[in-house]
Amino acid sequence: MSTILTHIAIADGKIKRSSLEVLSHCKQLAEQGGHSVEAVVVDADASSFVEGIQQYGASKIYVVEDPIFKNHMNTPLLKALAKVMDSANPSIFAFASTEGTKDILGALAANQNAAVLPDVSSFELIDGGIKAKRPVMAAKIISSTEAKGDTVLVSVRSGSYDLAENETSAEVVQIDFSMNESDLQMTLKEIISASGDTIDLNEAESIVAAGRGVKDEEGQKLISELAEVLNAGIGASRALTESGVYDPSLQIGQTGKVVSPQLYIAVGISGAIQHVAGMANSKVIVAINKDPDAPIFEISDYGIVGDLYKVLPPFIEELKKIKS
Amino acid sequence: MKFYVCIKMVPDVNAPLQIKDGQLIQDSDRQILNAYDASAVEEALVMKEKHGGEVEVVSIGSSKASETIRKALAMGADKATHILTSGDESYDSGSYARILAKFFEDKEYDVLSLGKQSQDTDAGLTGSMVAELLNLPYATNAVGLEAEDGKLIVKRQGDTGQEMIELPTPCAVTCSNDMNEPRIPNLKGIMASKRKPMEQVELSSLGLSDDELAATTSVLGYEEKPEREAGKKFEGEAEEIAREVAQLLDTEANVI
Repeated sequence: MSTILTHIAIADGKIKRSSLEVLSHCKQLAEQGGHSVEAVVVDADASSFVEGIQQYGASKIYVVEDPIFKNHMNTPLLKALAKVMDSANPSIFAFASTEGTKDILGALAANQNAAVLPDVSSFELIDGGIKAKRPVMAAKIISSTEAKGDTVLVSVRSGSYDLAENETSAEVVQIDFSMNESDLQMTLKEIISASGDTIDLNEAESIVAAGRGVKDEEGQKLISELAEVLNAGIGASRALTESGVYDPSLQIGQTGKVVSPQLYIAVGISGAIQHVAGMANSKVIVAINKDPDAPIFEISDYGIVGDLYKVLPPFIEELKKIKS
Repeated sequence: MKFYVCIKMVPDVNAPLQIKDGQLIQDSDRQILNAYDASAVEEALVMKEKHGGEVEVVSIGSSKASETIRKALAMGADKATHILTSGDESYDSGSYARILAKFFEDKEYDVLSLGKQSQDTDAGLTGSMVAELLNLPYATNAVGLEAEDGKLIVKRQGDTGQEMIELPTPCAVTCSNDMNEPRIPNLKGIMASKRKPMEQVELSSLGLSDDELAATTSVLGYEEKPEREAGKKFEGEAEEIAREVAQLLDTEANVI
Protein backbone atom coordinates (compact mmCIF):
# COMPACT_ATOMS: atom_id res chain seq x y z
CA MET A 1 0.00 0.00 0.00
CA SER A 2 1.26 3.43 -0.82
CA THR A 3 0.23 6.94 0.02
CA ILE A 4 -1.39 9.45 -2.29
CA LEU A 5 -1.00 12.93 -0.87
CA THR A 6 -3.20 15.79 -2.09
CA HIS A 7 -2.43 19.47 -1.69
CA ILE A 8 -5.40 21.59 -0.62
CA ALA A 9 -5.12 25.17 -1.88
CA ILE A 10 -6.85 27.99 -0.03
CA ALA A 11 -7.99 31.24 -1.61
CA ASP A 12 -9.91 34.05 0.08
CA GLY A 13 -10.54 31.96 3.17
CA LYS A 14 -12.03 29.07 1.23
CA ILE A 15 -10.84 25.70 0.01
CA LYS A 16 -10.37 25.84 -3.75
CA ARG A 17 -12.88 23.64 -5.51
CA SER A 18 -10.19 22.50 -7.93
CA SER A 19 -8.24 21.03 -4.99
CA LEU A 20 -11.28 19.06 -3.87
CA GLU A 21 -11.73 17.79 -7.42
CA VAL A 22 -8.19 16.42 -7.24
CA LEU A 23 -8.82 14.96 -3.77
CA SER A 24 -12.03 13.30 -5.03
CA HIS A 25 -10.09 11.68 -7.86
CA CYS A 26 -7.25 10.58 -5.57
CA LYS A 27 -9.77 9.05 -3.16
CA GLN A 28 -11.19 7.02 -6.00
CA LEU A 29 -7.72 5.89 -7.15
CA ALA A 30 -6.85 4.96 -3.57
CA GLU A 31 -9.97 2.86 -3.14
CA GLN A 32 -9.39 1.06 -6.41
CA GLY A 33 -5.78 0.25 -5.64
CA GLY A 34 -5.93 -0.22 -1.86
CA HIS A 35 -3.85 2.89 -1.17
CA SER A 36 -4.31 5.57 1.46
CA VAL A 37 -5.23 9.11 0.54
CA GLU A 38 -3.96 11.96 2.66
CA ALA A 39 -4.14 15.73 2.38
CA VAL A 40 -2.01 18.71 3.29
CA VAL A 41 -3.19 22.24 3.92
CA VAL A 42 -0.72 25.10 4.33
CA ASP A 43 -2.26 28.39 5.39
CA ALA A 44 -2.24 31.10 8.05
CA ASP A 45 -5.51 29.61 9.24
CA ALA A 46 -4.95 26.02 8.13
CA SER A 47 -6.74 24.19 10.99
CA SER A 48 -10.06 25.76 10.11
CA PHE A 49 -10.17 23.84 6.84
CA VAL A 50 -9.81 20.36 8.33
CA GLU A 51 -13.55 19.81 8.51
CA GLY A 52 -14.05 20.76 4.87
CA ILE A 53 -11.27 18.42 3.76
CA GLN A 54 -12.70 15.50 5.76
CA GLN A 55 -15.84 15.65 3.62
CA TYR A 56 -13.78 14.36 0.70
CA GLY A 57 -12.23 11.30 2.18
CA ALA A 58 -8.66 12.06 3.30
CA SER A 59 -7.66 9.63 6.06
CA LYS A 60 -4.88 11.85 7.39
CA ILE A 61 -4.61 15.63 7.14
CA TYR A 62 -1.30 17.43 7.58
CA VAL A 63 -1.80 20.95 8.87
CA VAL A 64 0.91 23.58 8.53
CA GLU A 65 -0.24 26.79 10.15
CA ASP A 66 1.81 29.97 10.32
CA PRO A 67 1.05 33.66 9.73
CA ILE A 68 3.68 33.66 6.98
CA PHE A 69 1.25 31.77 4.73
CA LYS A 70 -1.24 34.62 4.63
CA ASN A 71 -0.01 35.46 1.15
CA HIS A 72 1.63 33.18 -1.38
CA MET A 73 5.42 33.15 -1.32
CA ASN A 74 7.42 30.30 -2.79
CA THR A 75 10.19 29.90 -0.21
CA PRO A 76 8.05 29.16 2.89
CA LEU A 77 5.59 27.06 0.90
CA LEU A 78 8.41 24.94 -0.51
CA LYS A 79 9.89 24.45 2.92
CA ALA A 80 6.51 23.44 4.38
CA LEU A 81 5.70 20.98 1.59
CA ALA A 82 9.16 19.41 1.73
CA LYS A 83 8.70 18.92 5.46
CA VAL A 84 5.30 17.28 5.00
CA MET A 85 6.71 15.03 2.29
CA ASP A 86 9.39 13.87 4.69
CA SER A 87 6.66 12.79 7.13
CA ALA A 88 4.11 11.44 4.69
CA ASN A 89 6.57 9.83 2.30
CA PRO A 90 4.00 9.81 -0.52
CA SER A 91 4.29 7.85 -3.77
CA ILE A 92 2.09 10.40 -5.47
CA PHE A 93 1.63 14.05 -4.52
CA ALA A 94 -1.23 15.67 -6.43
CA PHE A 95 -2.03 19.37 -6.79
CA ALA A 96 -4.63 21.52 -8.47
CA SER A 97 -2.89 23.44 -11.23
CA THR A 98 -3.13 26.98 -9.84
CA GLU A 99 -0.60 29.82 -10.30
CA GLY A 100 0.55 29.04 -6.76
CA THR A 101 1.23 25.44 -7.77
CA LYS A 102 2.98 26.45 -10.98
CA ASP A 103 5.27 28.67 -8.92
CA ILE A 104 6.66 25.81 -6.84
CA LEU A 105 6.09 22.50 -8.64
CA GLY A 106 9.41 22.32 -10.48
CA ALA A 107 11.39 23.47 -7.46
CA LEU A 108 9.70 20.94 -5.18
CA ALA A 109 10.40 18.16 -7.68
CA ALA A 110 14.06 19.18 -7.86
CA ASN A 111 14.26 19.44 -4.07
CA GLN A 112 12.74 16.00 -3.53
CA ASN A 113 14.34 14.39 -6.57
CA ALA A 114 10.84 13.47 -7.73
CA ALA A 115 9.39 12.91 -11.18
CA VAL A 116 6.79 15.50 -12.14
CA LEU A 117 3.98 15.99 -14.65
CA PRO A 118 2.31 19.40 -14.66
CA ASP A 119 -1.10 20.54 -15.83
CA VAL A 120 -2.61 17.18 -16.76
CA SER A 121 -6.26 16.71 -17.72
CA SER A 122 -6.39 13.18 -16.26
CA PHE A 123 -4.11 10.66 -14.61
CA GLU A 124 -4.12 7.06 -13.45
CA LEU A 125 -1.74 4.94 -11.42
CA ILE A 126 0.62 2.54 -13.16
CA ASP A 127 3.34 0.34 -11.82
CA GLY A 128 6.00 2.68 -10.42
CA GLY A 129 4.30 5.94 -11.24
CA ILE A 130 1.48 7.53 -13.18
CA LYS A 131 0.19 7.78 -16.72
CA ALA A 132 -1.44 11.06 -17.67
CA LYS A 133 -2.99 13.02 -20.51
CA ARG A 134 -1.68 16.50 -21.15
CA PRO A 135 -2.88 19.00 -23.73
CA VAL A 136 0.16 20.16 -25.76
CA MET A 137 0.94 22.27 -28.85
CA ALA A 138 -1.34 25.10 -27.69
CA ALA A 139 -3.82 22.43 -26.53
CA LYS A 140 -4.40 21.33 -30.13
CA ILE A 141 -3.54 17.72 -29.30
CA ILE A 142 -3.25 15.46 -26.28
CA SER A 143 -0.06 13.72 -25.28
CA SER A 144 -0.13 10.52 -23.32
CA THR A 145 2.78 10.72 -20.89
CA GLU A 146 4.11 8.64 -18.06
CA ALA A 147 6.20 9.61 -15.07
CA LYS A 148 8.10 7.08 -13.01
CA GLY A 149 9.89 7.36 -9.73
CA ASP A 150 9.69 6.67 -6.01
CA THR A 151 7.79 9.93 -5.76
CA VAL A 152 5.75 11.51 -8.54
CA LEU A 153 4.28 15.01 -8.41
CA VAL A 154 1.31 15.81 -10.61
CA SER A 155 -0.85 18.91 -11.08
CA VAL A 156 -4.35 18.68 -12.51
CA ARG A 157 -6.28 21.26 -14.51
CA SER A 158 -9.41 22.58 -12.84
CA GLY A 159 -12.65 20.98 -14.00
CA SER A 160 -10.97 17.68 -14.89
CA TYR A 161 -12.83 15.69 -12.24
CA ASP A 162 -16.19 15.90 -10.49
CA LEU A 163 -16.48 16.46 -6.77
CA ALA A 164 -17.40 13.33 -4.81
CA GLU A 165 -18.17 13.71 -1.13
CA ASN A 166 -16.99 10.82 0.99
CA GLU A 167 -16.95 11.75 4.64
CA THR A 168 -14.13 10.24 6.66
CA SER A 169 -12.89 11.06 10.11
CA ALA A 170 -9.28 11.91 9.50
CA GLU A 171 -6.28 11.86 11.75
CA VAL A 172 -4.97 15.41 11.98
CA VAL A 173 -1.21 15.90 12.10
CA GLN A 174 0.14 19.34 13.00
CA ILE A 175 3.51 20.04 11.44
CA ASP A 176 5.70 22.52 13.31
CA PHE A 177 6.86 25.31 11.12
CA SER A 178 8.99 28.35 11.60
CA MET A 179 11.02 30.45 9.26
CA ASN A 180 13.33 33.35 9.92
CA GLU A 181 12.82 36.47 7.88
CA SER A 182 16.41 36.15 6.67
CA ASP A 183 15.76 32.66 5.26
CA LEU A 184 12.91 33.99 3.15
CA GLN A 185 15.34 35.39 0.57
CA MET A 186 12.55 37.54 -0.80
CA THR A 187 10.24 40.34 0.22
CA LEU A 188 6.65 40.48 -0.86
CA LYS A 189 6.25 44.24 -1.11
CA GLU A 190 2.74 44.61 -2.37
CA ILE A 191 -0.19 42.77 -3.89
CA ILE A 192 -2.11 44.62 -6.56
CA SER A 193 -5.43 42.79 -6.51
CA ALA A 194 -7.96 42.63 -9.25
CA SER A 195 -10.66 45.16 -8.51
CA GLY A 196 -13.02 44.32 -5.66
CA ASP A 197 -14.74 41.02 -5.14
CA THR A 198 -14.34 39.44 -8.54
CA ILE A 199 -15.20 35.77 -8.89
CA ASP A 200 -12.25 33.39 -9.18
CA LEU A 201 -12.28 32.17 -12.78
CA ASN A 202 -10.94 28.74 -11.89
CA GLU A 203 -13.84 28.21 -9.54
CA ALA A 204 -16.67 29.92 -11.44
CA GLU A 205 -19.66 27.90 -12.67
CA SER A 206 -20.25 30.43 -15.43
CA ILE A 207 -17.88 32.82 -17.19
CA VAL A 208 -18.59 35.77 -19.44
CA ALA A 209 -15.50 36.60 -21.48
CA ALA A 210 -14.95 39.83 -23.38
CA GLY A 211 -12.86 40.16 -26.53
CA ARG A 212 -11.80 42.79 -29.00
CA GLY A 213 -15.42 43.31 -30.09
CA VAL A 214 -16.11 44.93 -26.73
CA LYS A 215 -14.95 48.37 -27.76
CA ASP A 216 -15.97 50.84 -25.11
CA GLU A 217 -17.42 51.45 -21.67
CA GLU A 218 -20.90 50.72 -22.93
CA GLY A 219 -19.70 47.27 -24.02
CA GLN A 220 -17.99 46.66 -20.68
CA LYS A 221 -21.18 47.67 -18.91
CA LEU A 222 -23.11 45.07 -20.90
CA ILE A 223 -20.51 42.43 -19.98
CA SER A 224 -20.85 43.31 -16.29
CA GLU A 225 -24.64 43.20 -16.50
CA LEU A 226 -24.61 39.80 -18.17
CA ALA A 227 -22.14 38.47 -15.59
CA GLU A 228 -24.30 39.80 -12.77
CA VAL A 229 -27.45 38.10 -14.03
CA LEU A 230 -25.65 34.77 -14.30
CA ASN A 231 -23.52 35.24 -11.18
CA ALA A 232 -20.64 34.61 -13.55
CA GLY A 233 -16.96 35.45 -13.40
CA ILE A 234 -15.65 37.95 -15.95
CA GLY A 235 -12.76 36.93 -18.15
CA ALA A 236 -11.10 38.55 -21.15
CA SER A 237 -9.04 37.77 -24.19
CA ARG A 238 -5.41 38.81 -24.33
CA ALA A 239 -6.28 41.84 -26.50
CA LEU A 240 -8.32 43.39 -23.69
CA THR A 241 -5.96 42.59 -20.82
CA GLU A 242 -2.96 43.91 -22.75
CA SER A 243 -4.70 47.16 -23.58
CA GLY A 244 -5.49 47.50 -19.88
CA VAL A 245 -9.28 47.38 -20.24
CA TYR A 246 -9.41 44.32 -17.98
CA ASP A 247 -7.08 43.22 -15.21
CA PRO A 248 -4.29 40.84 -16.35
CA SER A 249 -5.47 38.21 -13.84
CA LEU A 250 -8.65 37.88 -15.90
CA GLN A 251 -6.88 36.73 -19.06
CA ILE A 252 -8.11 33.39 -20.39
CA GLY A 253 -5.95 31.40 -22.77
CA GLN A 254 -2.68 29.55 -23.18
CA THR A 255 -0.85 32.37 -21.41
CA GLY A 256 -3.48 33.18 -18.82
CA LYS A 257 -5.97 31.02 -17.03
CA VAL A 258 -7.25 27.68 -18.29
CA VAL A 259 -10.90 27.38 -17.33
CA SER A 260 -13.66 24.82 -17.71
CA PRO A 261 -16.93 26.22 -16.37
CA GLN A 262 -20.41 24.83 -16.99
CA LEU A 263 -21.23 27.83 -19.16
CA TYR A 264 -18.79 30.00 -21.13
CA ILE A 265 -20.09 32.99 -23.04
CA ALA A 266 -17.54 34.44 -25.45
CA VAL A 267 -18.52 37.97 -26.39
CA GLY A 268 -16.75 39.60 -29.30
CA ILE A 269 -14.00 36.97 -29.21
CA SER A 270 -12.87 35.62 -32.58
CA GLY A 271 -11.37 32.42 -31.16
CA ALA A 272 -7.61 32.45 -31.82
CA ILE A 273 -6.01 29.11 -30.87
CA GLN A 274 -4.25 30.67 -27.89
CA HIS A 275 -7.61 31.73 -26.46
CA VAL A 276 -9.36 28.47 -27.31
CA ALA A 277 -6.56 26.61 -25.49
CA GLY A 278 -7.82 28.22 -22.30
CA MET A 279 -11.53 27.51 -22.60
CA ALA A 280 -12.23 24.64 -24.98
CA ASN A 281 -13.09 22.27 -22.12
CA SER A 282 -16.02 24.37 -20.96
CA LYS A 283 -19.23 22.34 -20.87
CA VAL A 284 -21.47 24.67 -22.85
CA ILE A 285 -19.98 27.40 -25.05
CA VAL A 286 -21.97 30.34 -26.35
CA ALA A 287 -20.37 32.74 -28.82
CA ILE A 288 -21.61 36.16 -29.80
CA ASN A 289 -19.76 37.61 -32.76
CA LYS A 290 -20.72 39.67 -35.77
CA ASP A 291 -18.35 37.81 -38.10
CA PRO A 292 -20.15 34.61 -39.20
CA ASP A 293 -16.78 33.06 -40.10
CA ALA A 294 -15.16 33.65 -36.70
CA PRO A 295 -13.40 30.43 -35.64
CA ILE A 296 -15.06 30.59 -32.21
CA PHE A 297 -18.28 29.34 -33.86
CA GLU A 298 -16.57 26.06 -34.76
CA ILE A 299 -16.40 25.08 -31.10
CA SER A 300 -19.57 26.78 -29.86
CA ASP A 301 -22.73 24.95 -28.88
CA TYR A 302 -24.74 28.09 -29.48
CA GLY A 303 -23.44 30.69 -31.89
CA ILE A 304 -25.16 34.03 -32.20
CA VAL A 305 -24.11 35.91 -35.31
CA GLY A 306 -24.73 39.55 -34.56
CA ASP A 307 -23.55 42.83 -33.14
CA LEU A 308 -23.00 42.34 -29.43
CA TYR A 309 -24.38 45.81 -28.73
CA LYS A 310 -27.69 44.74 -30.26
CA VAL A 311 -27.66 41.13 -29.02
CA LEU A 312 -26.73 41.59 -25.36
CA PRO A 313 -29.56 43.89 -24.14
CA PRO A 314 -32.38 41.50 -25.13
CA PHE A 315 -30.23 38.49 -24.13
CA ILE A 316 -29.72 39.93 -20.64
CA GLU A 317 -33.39 40.87 -20.38
CA GLU A 318 -34.54 37.37 -21.33
CA LEU A 319 -32.11 35.76 -18.85
CA LYS A 320 -33.44 38.04 -16.10
CA LYS A 321 -36.95 36.84 -16.89
CA ILE A 322 -35.86 33.20 -16.73
CA LYS A 323 -34.04 33.77 -13.45
CA SER A 324 -36.94 35.50 -11.74
CA MET B 1 23.38 43.92 -14.33
CA LYS B 2 24.57 40.74 -15.91
CA PHE B 3 21.69 38.75 -17.35
CA TYR B 4 21.91 35.18 -18.52
CA VAL B 5 18.81 34.32 -20.56
CA CYS B 6 18.08 30.65 -21.28
CA ILE B 7 16.36 30.19 -24.60
CA LYS B 8 14.95 27.20 -26.41
CA MET B 9 14.19 26.31 -29.99
CA VAL B 10 10.65 24.95 -30.30
CA PRO B 11 8.34 23.79 -33.08
CA ASP B 12 5.94 26.46 -34.33
CA VAL B 13 2.62 25.60 -32.68
CA ASN B 14 0.80 27.60 -35.35
CA ALA B 15 1.99 25.28 -38.13
CA PRO B 16 -0.51 22.57 -39.19
CA LEU B 17 0.03 19.22 -37.51
CA GLN B 18 -1.21 15.68 -37.81
CA ILE B 19 -1.04 12.54 -35.75
CA LYS B 20 0.02 9.38 -37.52
CA ASP B 21 0.23 6.12 -35.58
CA GLY B 22 0.45 8.04 -32.35
CA GLN B 23 3.32 10.17 -33.62
CA LEU B 24 3.20 13.89 -34.11
CA ILE B 25 3.87 15.03 -37.67
CA GLN B 26 4.21 18.68 -38.55
CA ASP B 27 3.88 19.83 -42.15
CA SER B 28 6.78 22.18 -41.75
CA ASP B 29 9.78 21.49 -39.57
CA ARG B 30 9.97 25.20 -38.86
CA GLN B 31 11.58 25.78 -35.49
CA ILE B 32 11.35 29.09 -33.75
CA LEU B 33 12.50 30.92 -30.65
CA ASN B 34 10.08 30.05 -27.85
CA ALA B 35 7.81 33.11 -27.47
CA TYR B 36 8.21 33.23 -23.68
CA ASP B 37 12.00 33.15 -24.06
CA ALA B 38 11.79 35.96 -26.61
CA SER B 39 10.06 38.04 -23.92
CA ALA B 40 12.82 37.13 -21.46
CA VAL B 41 15.45 38.30 -23.98
CA GLU B 42 13.53 41.52 -24.66
CA GLU B 43 13.20 42.34 -20.97
CA ALA B 44 16.89 41.68 -20.34
CA LEU B 45 17.75 44.04 -23.21
CA VAL B 46 15.47 46.73 -21.79
CA MET B 47 17.12 46.32 -18.37
CA LYS B 48 20.55 46.62 -19.96
CA GLU B 49 19.49 49.76 -21.82
CA LYS B 50 18.30 51.29 -18.53
CA HIS B 51 20.92 50.09 -16.09
CA GLY B 52 23.87 48.93 -18.17
CA GLY B 53 25.41 45.49 -17.98
CA GLU B 54 25.44 42.54 -20.31
CA VAL B 55 23.00 40.04 -21.80
CA GLU B 56 24.23 36.57 -22.62
CA VAL B 57 21.96 33.86 -24.00
CA VAL B 58 22.36 30.15 -23.39
CA SER B 59 20.64 27.40 -25.31
CA ILE B 60 20.73 23.61 -25.18
CA GLY B 61 20.10 21.90 -28.48
CA SER B 62 21.37 20.35 -31.67
CA SER B 63 23.41 22.32 -34.22
CA LYS B 64 20.12 23.55 -35.66
CA ALA B 65 19.50 25.59 -32.52
CA SER B 66 22.21 28.03 -33.62
CA GLU B 67 19.59 29.74 -35.83
CA THR B 68 17.51 30.47 -32.75
CA ILE B 69 20.54 31.73 -30.88
CA ARG B 70 21.39 34.06 -33.81
CA LYS B 71 17.91 35.49 -33.57
CA ALA B 72 18.48 36.44 -29.91
CA LEU B 73 21.85 37.96 -30.84
CA ALA B 74 20.16 39.88 -33.66
CA MET B 75 17.67 41.23 -31.15
CA GLY B 76 20.64 42.64 -29.27
CA ALA B 77 22.08 40.06 -26.88
CA ASP B 78 25.84 40.51 -26.50
CA LYS B 79 27.01 36.94 -26.69
CA ALA B 80 25.86 33.36 -26.56
CA THR B 81 26.72 29.89 -25.39
CA HIS B 82 25.36 26.91 -27.26
CA ILE B 83 25.36 23.67 -25.27
CA LEU B 84 25.49 21.22 -28.10
CA THR B 85 23.53 17.96 -28.06
CA SER B 86 23.07 15.34 -30.74
CA GLY B 87 19.40 16.21 -31.15
CA ASP B 88 18.09 12.65 -30.85
CA GLU B 89 18.07 12.61 -27.05
CA SER B 90 14.80 12.38 -25.11
CA TYR B 91 15.37 14.76 -22.23
CA ASP B 92 12.64 16.15 -20.02
CA SER B 93 12.43 19.34 -17.95
CA GLY B 94 14.48 17.72 -15.19
CA SER B 95 17.30 16.77 -17.57
CA TYR B 96 17.45 20.30 -19.02
CA ALA B 97 17.36 21.83 -15.54
CA ARG B 98 20.30 19.69 -14.39
CA ILE B 99 22.29 20.60 -17.51
CA LEU B 100 21.65 24.31 -16.95
CA ALA B 101 22.41 24.08 -13.23
CA LYS B 102 25.72 22.38 -14.03
CA PHE B 103 26.58 25.03 -16.62
CA PHE B 104 25.78 27.92 -14.25
CA GLU B 105 27.49 26.37 -11.24
CA ASP B 106 30.68 28.42 -11.71
CA LYS B 107 29.24 31.41 -13.58
CA GLU B 108 28.78 34.88 -12.17
CA TYR B 109 25.63 36.85 -12.86
CA ASP B 110 22.93 38.97 -11.30
CA VAL B 111 19.87 37.51 -12.95
CA LEU B 112 19.21 34.15 -14.54
CA SER B 113 16.16 34.59 -16.72
CA LEU B 114 14.02 32.07 -18.61
CA GLY B 115 10.69 31.95 -20.38
CA LYS B 116 8.02 30.76 -17.98
CA GLN B 117 7.23 27.76 -20.13
CA SER B 118 7.93 26.30 -23.53
CA GLN B 119 5.10 26.90 -25.98
CA ASP B 120 5.03 23.33 -27.33
CA THR B 121 4.69 21.45 -24.03
CA ASP B 122 3.56 24.24 -21.67
CA ALA B 123 5.22 22.40 -18.78
CA GLY B 124 6.73 25.42 -17.05
CA LEU B 125 9.00 23.44 -14.73
CA THR B 126 12.57 24.14 -15.81
CA GLY B 127 12.84 27.66 -14.37
CA SER B 128 12.01 26.85 -10.78
CA MET B 129 13.96 23.58 -11.02
CA VAL B 130 17.14 25.43 -12.03
CA ALA B 131 16.58 27.97 -9.26
CA GLU B 132 16.21 25.20 -6.67
CA LEU B 133 19.25 23.28 -7.93
CA LEU B 134 21.36 26.46 -7.76
CA ASN B 135 19.74 27.51 -4.47
CA LEU B 136 18.69 30.86 -5.96
CA PRO B 137 15.75 32.94 -4.80
CA TYR B 138 13.30 33.13 -7.69
CA ALA B 139 10.01 34.41 -9.00
CA THR B 140 7.92 32.87 -11.78
CA ASN B 141 5.41 34.28 -14.25
CA ALA B 142 6.95 37.74 -14.22
CA VAL B 143 5.09 40.46 -16.09
CA GLY B 144 7.51 43.26 -15.25
CA LEU B 145 11.09 43.78 -14.00
CA GLU B 146 12.82 46.70 -12.34
CA ALA B 147 16.16 47.12 -10.64
CA GLU B 148 16.55 49.03 -7.38
CA ASP B 149 19.70 49.29 -5.26
CA GLY B 150 21.12 46.15 -6.80
CA LYS B 151 17.93 44.21 -6.15
CA LEU B 152 15.50 42.89 -8.69
CA ILE B 153 11.88 43.95 -8.31
CA VAL B 154 9.60 41.47 -10.02
CA LYS B 155 5.95 42.04 -10.75
CA ARG B 156 4.44 38.58 -11.08
CA GLN B 157 0.96 37.42 -11.95
CA GLY B 158 -0.39 35.33 -9.11
CA ASP B 159 -3.73 33.62 -8.62
CA THR B 160 -5.68 36.65 -7.52
CA GLY B 161 -3.55 39.62 -8.39
CA GLN B 162 -0.12 40.94 -9.17
CA GLU B 163 2.55 40.46 -6.54
CA MET B 164 5.50 42.81 -6.23
CA ILE B 165 8.49 40.80 -5.05
CA GLU B 166 11.96 42.03 -4.20
CA LEU B 167 14.75 39.54 -4.80
CA PRO B 168 18.42 39.86 -3.87
CA THR B 169 20.89 39.05 -6.62
CA PRO B 170 21.88 36.60 -7.89
CA CYS B 171 18.34 35.37 -8.51
CA ALA B 172 16.25 33.61 -11.13
CA VAL B 173 13.09 34.79 -12.84
CA THR B 174 10.73 33.24 -15.37
CA CYS B 175 9.02 35.55 -17.83
CA SER B 176 5.50 35.75 -19.19
CA ASN B 177 4.91 36.91 -22.74
CA ASP B 178 2.59 39.54 -21.23
CA MET B 179 5.68 41.41 -20.14
CA ASN B 180 6.49 43.10 -23.46
CA GLU B 181 6.46 42.85 -27.25
CA PRO B 182 9.80 41.32 -28.25
CA ARG B 183 11.56 43.47 -30.83
CA ILE B 184 11.89 42.20 -34.40
CA PRO B 185 15.57 42.18 -35.35
CA ASN B 186 16.40 44.84 -37.92
CA LEU B 187 18.97 44.48 -40.70
CA LYS B 188 21.68 46.15 -38.63
CA GLY B 189 21.00 43.74 -35.77
CA ILE B 190 21.08 40.75 -38.08
CA MET B 191 24.40 41.86 -39.61
CA ALA B 192 25.88 42.53 -36.18
CA SER B 193 24.73 39.14 -34.87
CA LYS B 194 27.08 37.38 -37.29
CA ARG B 195 30.09 38.96 -35.62
CA LYS B 196 28.96 38.33 -32.05
CA PRO B 197 30.67 35.57 -30.09
CA MET B 198 28.84 32.25 -29.91
CA GLU B 199 30.72 29.70 -27.87
CA GLN B 200 29.92 26.05 -28.41
CA VAL B 201 30.13 23.74 -25.44
CA GLU B 202 29.79 20.01 -25.96
CA LEU B 203 27.26 18.62 -23.50
CA SER B 204 29.65 15.79 -22.67
CA SER B 205 32.24 18.30 -21.47
CA LEU B 206 29.98 19.36 -18.61
CA GLY B 207 30.53 15.98 -16.97
CA LEU B 208 26.95 15.00 -16.16
CA SER B 209 26.30 11.34 -15.47
CA ASP B 210 23.75 9.32 -17.41
CA ASP B 211 21.61 9.29 -14.28
CA GLU B 212 21.61 13.07 -14.13
CA LEU B 213 20.60 13.33 -17.76
CA ALA B 214 17.97 10.60 -17.62
CA ALA B 215 14.35 11.66 -18.05
CA THR B 216 11.82 10.45 -15.50
CA THR B 217 8.92 11.27 -17.80
CA SER B 218 8.31 10.04 -21.32
CA VAL B 219 5.74 10.71 -23.99
CA LEU B 220 4.04 7.45 -24.99
CA GLY B 221 2.16 8.93 -27.92
CA TYR B 222 -0.20 11.58 -29.13
CA GLU B 223 -3.90 11.54 -29.76
CA GLU B 224 -6.51 13.86 -31.19
CA LYS B 225 -8.36 16.02 -28.80
CA PRO B 226 -11.99 14.95 -28.53
CA GLU B 227 -13.47 17.22 -31.21
CA ARG B 228 -16.07 19.71 -30.17
CA GLU B 229 -18.85 19.62 -32.69
CA ALA B 230 -19.95 23.02 -33.87
CA GLY B 231 -23.45 23.42 -32.48
CA LYS B 232 -26.27 25.58 -33.69
CA LYS B 233 -25.60 28.92 -35.30
CA PHE B 234 -28.25 31.58 -35.12
CA GLU B 235 -28.44 34.33 -37.69
CA GLY B 236 -31.10 36.94 -38.25
CA GLU B 237 -32.80 39.63 -36.24
CA ALA B 238 -30.66 40.30 -33.15
CA GLU B 239 -33.43 40.60 -30.60
CA GLU B 240 -35.17 37.44 -31.74
CA ILE B 241 -32.10 35.18 -31.79
CA ALA B 242 -30.80 36.60 -28.51
CA ARG B 243 -34.04 35.66 -26.75
CA GLU B 244 -34.17 32.27 -28.45
CA VAL B 245 -30.65 31.31 -27.31
CA ALA B 246 -31.33 32.54 -23.76
CA GLN B 247 -34.38 30.25 -23.68
CA LEU B 248 -32.39 27.30 -25.04
CA LEU B 249 -29.68 27.75 -22.40
CA ASP B 250 -32.39 27.26 -19.82
CA THR B 251 -34.57 24.56 -21.38
CA GLU B 252 -32.11 22.61 -23.55
CA ALA B 253 -28.61 23.12 -22.13
CA ASN B 254 -29.87 23.44 -18.58
CA VAL B 255 -27.10 25.78 -17.46
CA ILE B 256 -29.06 28.80 -16.20
